Amino acid sequence: MVQSRLASFARVSIPLLLAVAGGGICASAASADDVIRFGAPLPITGPLAPEAVKQQQGYDLWAEQANKAGGIAIGGKKYKVEIVYADYQSNTPRAVQTTEQMITQDNVNFLFGAFGSGAAKAASTISEKYKVPTLAATASSSQVYDQGYKYLFGTFTPNDTLTTPLTRIIKAKAPDVKQIAILARNDLFPLAIAQEMEKSAKANGIEVTYFEKYAINTLDHSASLSQIKSLAPQWIFVTGYINDLLLIRKQMVDQQMKAAVVTMIAGPAYQEFIDAAGQSAENISSAAWWHPAEQYAGKDIFGQTSNFVKLFRAKYNSDPDYGQASAALCGALFQLAIERAGSLDRDKVRDELAKMDVVTFFGPVKFGANGQINSLEPPVFQIQNAKPVVLFPDAIKQGEFKLGVN
Amino acid sequence: MLAAQVLINALVLGCLYACIAIGFSLVWGVLNVINLIHGSFIVLGAYLAFGVYQWLGVSPWYALAIAAPLFFAFGYLLQRLLLNRVISAPVLVTLTLTFGLDLILNNAMIYYFKADYRKLTLSPPTGSISLFDVVVPVDRLIATVSALALTGLLYLLLRRSKVGRAIVAVRLDRDAAVLMGVDVKSIYAIAFGLGAALAGCAGVLMALIFPISPLTSSVYLGKAFVVCVLGGLGSVSGALAGGLLLALVEGIGSTLIGPAHATTLSFVLLIIFLVVRPQGLLGRKGFE
Repeated sequence: MVQSRLASFARVSIPLLLAVAGGGICASAASADDVIRFGAPLPITGPLAPEAVKQQQGYDLWAEQANKAGGIAIGGKKYKVEIVYADYQSNTPRAVQTTEQMITQDNVNFLFGAFGSGAAKAASTISEKYKVPTLAATASSSQVYDQGYKYLFGTFTPNDTLTTPLTRIIKAKAPDVKQIAILARNDLFPLAIAQEMEKSAKANGIEVTYFEKYAINTLDHSASLSQIKSLAPQWIFVTGYINDLLLIRKQMVDQQMKAAVVTMIAGPAYQEFIDAAGQSAENISSAAWWHPAEQYAGKDIFGQTSNFVKLFRAKYNSDPDYGQASAALCGALFQLAIERAGSLDRDKVRDELAKMDVVTFFGPVKFGANGQINSLEPPVFQIQNAKPVVLFPDAIKQGEFKLGVN
Repeated sequence: MLAAQVLINALVLGCLYACIAIGFSLVWGVLNVINLIHGSFIVLGAYLAFGVYQWLGVSPWYALAIAAPLFFAFGYLLQRLLLNRVISAPVLVTLTLTFGLDLILNNAMIYYFKADYRKLTLSPPTGSISLFDVVVPVDRLIATVSALALTGLLYLLLRRSKVGRAIVAVRLDRDAAVLMGVDVKSIYAIAFGLGAALAGCAGVLMALIFPISPLTSSVYLGKAFVVCVLGGLGSVSGALAGGLLLALVEGIGSTLIGPAHATTLSFVLLIIFLVVRPQGLLGRKGFE
């Protein structure tokens, strides 16, 4: 009886589980001689899935453009680009396993880093062990690059390059801001940027009256927000990902919280944030590593920034944000490095990346000795009339900072 | 004033937690099935409210009237066609089956709705009520009242109706209920359907408050689990008590020792309850 029940359970569940497992793995095509394979471990499912979609869009756009132009040229021969995706389910230990699998079983030539600082750092130990050049599109925390690794490069500047110009603007435009409350997601990047903000505020004579971390997957922030409200700071600085920031912003409105300045990192750069937050997004300030309003004449496959934006809009029917742009940049940089090296030799490509000094659609790219980019000036912006308006750097400034968030 | 605000926040949140957990508690209590698909039902309910408002332009409150029968039918069929086949197997088998079904439903939602976070923003916004500097958001208040009404309806259904008494009878003693002529398989399907309907309605209410994404299902499921252990299985009032206790611990803990430790605190409480009082605050054998 029990056996027959188990047998019928197995008949039902095994095909289902196989179907799920099959859906979770992105199989790659068989390798060919004239193909260059790039491994991209991504959190395609799980809490970070929206971020994976963005990175995938950036990689795919680059691969499409590179292949449209015939591929990557090495010694007069063109090689097609193939991106091998794998899902690490928003689980950092699995990102490490996936990275190893890509190198040893999928035989990828080069690697894109896992999403965010935490997973990128963890997975970089593997790519370093196998000496596979890796470009991390979304890792900004300096802890990722202070490991003395030779094969890891990243296209986000250190976190303080976001908070320092932000503080400078607030000091100049809102001299009455004397106190700041900081609420940070307890996660590598959001916490690191909150700590940079704390340092920057203290260095500029702004008192930090509240500094707390909230746990990942927090469903309700009313207690923390009530506490911040009771302290009445002029500046409220919140870090997290888009789901956290949408919920916190909604709960701030619910609790009738007002402040001269409200800064959120890293949601407002995304169009989804502006769409979902609606009126409550107004005057929220933020900073990011790139903005579509930038105007660079790049030497990479995308050329002008405006050309990248145009291609992105045509393919995805939306404006690109810094995550998508950085992913596309990583592809474009690999292409430049491989073409300059004239070889698929990993060490030669690594050396070309290390001495890279080029203007791209994303901005000037030059890596420091630790592998992190040190040539960019990330823009500060504010949501005004449901659009991100660039406040800094002056070269691409689109408007003036506005005080007051209700 | 901060203390009063924290208390009010916790009371409102507690009712929402109860609303999230009540269907889960019913299914666990009556069927002895830990229904891992519960969180995804809530998210699907939230998408229903979002769709009704965004695409049909109808007030999301009307979605409650659609969600209840729709999810009941879905749950009923799921139990009748699939879960009833393994219902007498050890609890691990039903757990694995609902786990698999949850993976399918959740990934299907990611496929169709994408993993993007959406927000149901009412126009005009419902705003907040302010009394002596203590603020209560109107949408949370309405959701709280609706959650209490749903809980009350379930209580009445179990107390007064023939089906309700049959559900309680099956919960108390399955074999005796069979001897009394109760069609157990049908009662199981009705109880699972009710659990799904409550999850769907909870989803409609949550859509007004929290961002919507398939990825939030595990958070709802986790809360439902903790609420059931704290309040006790098999009791409508237990879900309410568990919800309120959890929200109070989180709210006060967050204020006193910081939000980073609020979740830890709630799970420490969960472990203490499992060791010291496994039946929960108000748990008892009969579900009424």
